[in-house]
Formats: sequence, structure tokens, C-alpha cells
Amino acid sequence: MMRIEDYADMAKIALTEDEKKSFSAQVNILTESFDILKSIDTESVKALVTVLDIKNVFRDDVAAKTVPRETLLANAPEQYGGYFQVPKTL
Amino acid sequence: MDHYTVFLEDSIMQKDTLVTAGSKMLENFVSPFDATVVKRLSESQFSLAGRVIMDEFGIPSLIFEGNEPLGAVKAVADGTASHALCNDLFGKYRKQATENGCCYIHPTYGTVSRFGLIPLASSMDQIGVVCKNLHDGFALLSQIAGKDPRDGAMFPEESYNYAPTSKNIRIGIPKFVNIETIENFAKNFQTIDIELAHFEAYKQVMYILSCAEISNNISRYDGVKFGHRATSFRGLDDLYIKTRSEGFGADVKLTAIMGTMMLSQKQYAPYYEKAMKIRRLIKESLKFDTYDIIAMPCKISDDPYENLALYALPTLAGLPAVSFAHKGCGIQLIANTKCESALLSAWEVCMA
Amino acid sequence: MKYETVIGLEVHVEMATKTKLFCACSAQFGAAANENVCPACAGMPGMPAVTNKKAVEFAIAAALVTNSNITPTMSFDKKNYFYPDLPTGYQITQLFAPICRDGWVEIETAEGAKKITLKQIHIEEDAGKLVHDNRIGASLVDFNRASVPLVEIVSNPDFRTAEEVVAYLEELRLLLSFAGISDCKMQEGSMRCDVNISVRKIGDTKLGVRTEIKNMNSLKAISAAIAYESQRHMDALETGEETLVQETRRWDDAVGETLSMREKEAAADYRYFPNPEIMPVEIDADWIEVVRQGLPEPAQDKFVRLTQELGLSEYDSSIITGSKNLSDIFDGALKHFGRPKEVANWIIVELLSIAKGDNKGEGDIEIDCEKLAKVMQLVDDKIINRAMGKKLLGLVWKEGIDPAKYVEENQLGMVSDTSLIDSTIQTVLAEQTKSVNEYKDGNKKAINFLVGQVMKKLAGKGDPNMVNGLLVKYLEDM
Repeated sequence: MMRIEDYADMAKIALTEDEKKSFSAQVNILTESFDILKSIDTESVKALVTVLDIKNVFRDDVAAKTVPRETLLANAPEQYGGYFQVPKTL
Repeated sequence: MDHYTVFLEDSIMQKDTLVTAGSKMLENFVSPFDATVVKRLSESQFSLAGRVIMDEFGIPSLIFEGNEPLGAVKAVADGTASHALCNDLFGKYRKQATENGCCYIHPTYGTVSRFGLIPLASSMDQIGVVCKNLHDGFALLSQIAGKDPRDGAMFPEESYNYAPTSKNIRIGIPKFVNIETIENFAKNFQTIDIELAHFEAYKQVMYILSCAEISNNISRYDGVKFGHRATSFRGLDDLYIKTRSEGFGADVKLTAIMGTMMLSQKQYAPYYEKAMKIRRLIKESLKFDTYDIIAMPCKISDDPYENLALYALPTLAGLPAVSFAHKGCGIQLIANTKCESALLSAWEVCMA
Repeated sequence: MKYETVIGLEVHVEMATKTKLFCACSAQFGAAANENVCPACAGMPGMPAVTNKKAVEFAIAAALVTNSNITPTMSFDKKNYFYPDLPTGYQITQLFAPICRDGWVEIETAEGAKKITLKQIHIEEDAGKLVHDNRIGASLVDFNRASVPLVEIVSNPDFRTAEEVVAYLEELRLLLSFAGISDCKMQEGSMRCDVNISVRKIGDTKLGVRTEIKNMNSLKAISAAIAYESQRHMDALETGEETLVQETRRWDDAVGETLSMREKEAAADYRYFPNPEIMPVEIDADWIEVVRQGLPEPAQDKFVRLTQELGLSEYDSSIITGSKNLSDIFDGALKHFGRPKEVANWIIVELLSIAKGDNKGEGDIEIDCEKLAKVMQLVDDKIINRAMGKKLLGLVWKEGIDPAKYVEENQLGMVSDTSLIDSTIQTVLAEQTKSVNEYKDGNKKAINFLVGQVMKKLAGKGDPNMVNGLLVKYLEDM
């Protein structure tokens, strides 16, 4: 049985004790309310991913430069020599 | 037309401008580009006049609504702005507009470009208009609507004509609606009672699908490329966790966690996939051949989660809707895909 | 032998589009860090994905050359995980309706032809690149590669040996590169592979515990890793000293071992779901036919044409058609110098040795085909000799010189003044009495030294055949 903390883990969120309590209560209310789905027969119904009945929307393979690198990196919390910097991953 | 001044919800990109989506996560984010709606407005007679604050990422509390109207509604209500653009996923704008003497237009999904709109739930996101009256609202909408090659989920029409058409409008009133609440409105029209299939599951389907898509769309906020980063951390995983725990508020965290749960291996079939299937049943059960517009009130409860059922239909089925106050009652009208004109006609009839 | 190794491959191939899969950034390899990056592929919000049509067409071509069944309506999905090289926190890929399934590729093995069956091919976006900088104790992220379009070719566990794996990868490289889908350069990462490996007792039908060796990018390393890993599995099964676990491992080339990447099993929930912002792609028979018609000549057909129509030897043809790049150079040069055998000879003998000297493989050679043809023409017209031709080709390779102009400006044309050649020969014969005597004593090879001396005095600009002929005449007359 997965607990709320496990999903928080997956979402890279740490919960305080208070949050754990209040979220658990809300999650319980929500998931209980979801029980109604079981009563709806969806056998042989295809999932609806988008309401648009449109296919084959494409871009041509033509390159365009939109934003200079400096602008792109201007928002970076930490950068080094044109790279985004993060703690060592290896 | 020079009195038109448009405000933007803080989820719409404006070049070289702070765009925070109401979140600490983006407290220092300066947009490197303009949203398509911004570009189109700048080429029109409408002038951009400012930005307004919003619920964090546009996610309202499920428990408590609060008394203070959202920035976009407030700006139009007090006359600071003639219009405001926002993404009303959960219906809070639709409801509050009617409570503050404003109107709201939720256009057909896929008719207004979302290039430059900070995404919430991609299958539902739709920029809409807060306005004083629907004539002004549709005048603005006609400037921003129409195909944009930078948004791959759009109808092919280059532009739309929202001029009102027939005044002979058939209104469908769902069974759950207490007719007294919208009686004054309904008596102007030929009405029929209708059944909305699976109405009892509207809010659940809406919630499950939206929180899942939101959890995915907000994965990009991780303290690496832009936005908030925790000041102290030990290693990569700690950087992610601290950044996101500090940067997101409670409603966003709950949404992210619920969404993650809905998409997880075990819950996908019973919840996410099931909700996508019911979404199809909901959309395909509509019978716009027997009525032109579905009418319902904008509020059935003080519980925001309960009210979600009212706003779910336009969002889930991608349908155009307007909401406005009529003789003290908040009304929401929903039409078939790309039938905004019928909504304008109905509004004209009842306001005459 | 008691055990058999069972191997399946996931091969990632970067498609040769000009731009990325979902944004208009250049997909070129080799740009400065984060130079080919826009708000979309840096993960910024508000940038809807719009699919590159060319990428879909390359993927259709990949389906065709691998005999796969194309999905009539394919769609894209989102795969969720956090890693710094993944800008949006999700990868757009195909799980529910990939572009094609159930293909096959035929390889040659020691036991004859073998069909490797494919589970599926799907289109997905590549991740960025991480550079680990020890000086600053940090990792650095470059998103140039993020969202470059890939096809991932997933085989069934049909391989039993490393040789089969290598043969398959070489065949895939030929199929994909000749179809123009990818340059398939393993060293640049445009072709990489994950190796799934397990070992079982011969006769067992159930597969053993499977480990996955990630991100392999050289055939040599793949062979070595398979040898190491299957031995590790066998030892574990035999001695019971180590318990095999299903896990992801990486190959350490320096040490020659695979190492566990110690990934948490719980972290492997990728929360796939259909991507609602990308409309499905319908691939009808007409579109498939257009792609099929546009496919360039495959290596096999070209081999037949080179041997049968152009009269090349099987050896030369196999080298030329063993690399899409060489084959393109051959075609390019042949357009300007219409003698196939000589073109092939120059490429195989001269060009390859020049490239080898620079540590470049067949796939990395970049040469102006018109200039290559010009060098051949100059030799053929007897304006320069072959040795000078080779020297010129080296200069074309290194400095990109214009051969004809260079010959003219540096007066490198062969000496045509016969009286000068005569007098030079006589001088050499007078100087080199030792060699002359050796020749006279029956050591005919001594003439080579004399030819060399004459050529040297002519600053390399003589015609060695002519000099040789004249020398023989003089020596016999002496």
C-alpha cells in the first residue's frame, strides 16, 4: 500500500508533519469521492485524450534561432561557462 | 475604442517582464518571449495595461474560496481594466465574474493560442476573457482567436466571427438545476429539460484529469534552469526536494501529489484511464441537435469542490461558455463547439 | 557448453533532421554549449510542442527498411522522471501507439543468415548532455541535444552471441545510413545502445535474471561488456556466490567491468500518459508510398550495381558500400571523373590512408568531391604524377586547396622538356656509378634507386614511368 509520502517522494516534495495530516485528510475525501467512477460502465469505451478531432499537425524542418544564449541563461539559478550548473550527478 | 485597456493574468508571458504565475517558484522569472495573445493584442486597438496576481499557478483551494476576488476580476470590476485575460481551468473566474458585475468568456478549446501561457492541464487550458459586457468581450476575443502555428492543438480557422445569429434559441436545462434559481433567465426562451450523462462524476473526472496533467506540467520547476532554487542542499535529489517544497504552496503540493498518484502504475487504470473514458462518455452524450445552449447556475454550494461540477463541462468537453449575472443570479451558458455566436445571441435576448 | 546467453537490444538513433523534434532549434552536433537551445527545449513553460514532419518521415523510412508494420494512427506520450538533462521533467516518447511494430533485420552469422525480430520502433526526444567538472565539483548541463529526434529500435531477445549483436548493429547502421535517416556515428552518440542480457541453462525456456547495460557507444565496448556480463552471470549461476538482481549497470571501459548503477526500484514508475497537446499522426498508404519512393538506393542494391554495371571488384564494392559516407564520396567524385575503377581505387588506397593518418574512420571523412575528382583528372592527364597527386589530395584534405590552381601556382606540373630529362638522367648515371654497376651485374632492382635520384633532381615533377623507360634504354646502351 502506497502512502501519501511515497507519492510526495515521486513528485520530489517533502511534507511537514502538518502537511502530512492535512493532505491525508483531503486525499481521503477525494479518493472516497472517486468511488463513483466504479459504477460507470466504461467497457469498450476509448479513452478521450483530447477533445480536438484533429490529426497530423506538423512543423517544417526549418531551423530558427529564437533567443540568444545569454537571455536563456539569464534566468538560471547557477551557471558556469555557458552551462546550467547542478550538483555532481556522478 | 481607445478606452480599452487589457490586463493579463500573471500566467501569460510578456517579454522582458517578471512572470510568476503567482508562485514563489517563479518569483524571479523574466520571460524571454511574448505570448501569442500578447503579440496579437499589441497589433490591435487594445492596449496592454498591466498584470494581475492570481492563485498560485491558477490552482484554487479545494476547501476555502476566500472573499477577495481574483486580480483579473477585481481589475475589471473596479474599472481599472476593460478586460483581463486568464486561464480559468477550475471555474473560479467564471463564478467570481458573475458575483462582481463582470462577464466571463471561455472560448472553444483550441481557438486561442496557448503559446506563452504557463500550462496547467494541457488538454483543458484555454485563455478566456473577463469583461464588463459580452460585446466588448467578443470584440477582444476576435482579435486574439485563430490558428497559431506555434500551438499544435488548435482548429485550422485563421479567425472567427462572433456576430450574434438567430434569436430563436433552445435552452436545455439539466435536471439537477433548481429551476427557481434561473427562472428569470429561462422565461425568455424555449426550454427543455435535459439529462447530463454522468453529471454525478463531473467533478471527480475533472479533478483527476487536471491534477494529473498539472503534476506533469509543473515537473519542469526543479531549480535547474530558471526560477526558485533552495539556498542550501546536499546533492541533486536534495536540491529538487528542497526547491520544490519551498517553492510550491500547499494547494500546488496537494495537486502535484494527487496527480502523481493518479498517474502511478497502480492507479492509472482505475483512475486516470477510467476518467479519460468517462470524459468521452460525457462529451459524446451531449445532444446539441435538440438544444442550442445548456444553462445552469454558477454556484450550487459553498464547497468549491462541489461547484467544480458546474464548470467541468466546458473544460472537459472543450466547449465555449459564458457566465454573467442576470437579475442577481449567476448564469453559465454552454454551447456546442465553435458556437460562441449562440451564446452572444442568448445574452442579448435576456439582457434586452 | 552448459549455458547460453540471451541478449536483446534497444538501439537509439538520432535522426538526421535539421531541427529538433518539437522546436525549431538546430539539431546539428558540435555547437558551443547551449547554443542550439530555445525556451522550449530549455524546459520553460508556455511552449507547446509542434512535431517536426521530417522526423516522422525518417521514422516511417526506418519502419520500411526494417520490414515493420506501421501503426495507422500513432501518438505521443509523456514519460515522467527528474534528471538535470531532462529540461521539462518529462520525455515525449511513444508507449501506447508507437510508429511501428514487428519488424525484422537479417544478419549474417557463422551458421548462416539469421532473422533478428523487432518488437517495435518508437520516436522520442533525446535528453541533454551532462559534463562533470571536477575542478568546480559540479555537473554542467548542455541542452543542445535535448529534444533532438531519436528512433529507438527495440529488438526481441534474439541474440545469443556478441558477434550477432555486432553484425546486427553494423547491418542497422547500413540500413539507416543508406536510407538517409541518420549518420549513425557511435563515437558522436548519434547511435547508442542499451544491452539487455541474461543467461540460462541450454534447453531452459524461461529467461534468467536480466540486467541492462546502458548507453554503450562502441562496438568494441559492447563486445567486451557482453563477454564480461555473461561470464558474471554464469559464475553467479555456477558458484552461487553472487545473487543476480534485475538492475541497470554501466560499462567502465577503463576497468573492463560492468558496475551497478544502484537505482531505486521505486524510482522506476515513469507515470506514462498520453500527451494531449500533440495531435495523433495518421500514416496512410499514400504517405508511406511517397516515403518509399523517396528512399535512396540501399547498400545491397548499390553493391550489385557497382560490381555488375560499373565493373568494380567485389572487394572494392564492399568497401565503398560498407559506409554511406564513402559511398556518397564515390558518387560525388564519379560525377566529375567518370571512371569508376579509378575513383574507387583513389578512395580506398589514397583517401582512406590519409584519413587514417588523422585518426578518422570512413564515416568521418569530409572531402570536396569535386576537388578529389580534379586530382584524379590531373594525374590522368599526366599533368602531375601519382605521387604528386597523393600529396595534393593531402593538401585538399588538410587545407582545402584548389588542386589545379595549386599546381599552376607552384609549378608542380610534370617536366615535359625531354632534353632536361635526358641531361638529368645522364648526370645521375655519371654520379651513381655504384648502382649502375650493380645493374650491369644483373641486379635489375638497382634501377629503382636511380629512378628515385632522377625524380629527386626533377623535384618530384618527372613522370616515373617515362624516367624508368629512358633509364633502361641508357643502361642497356652503356
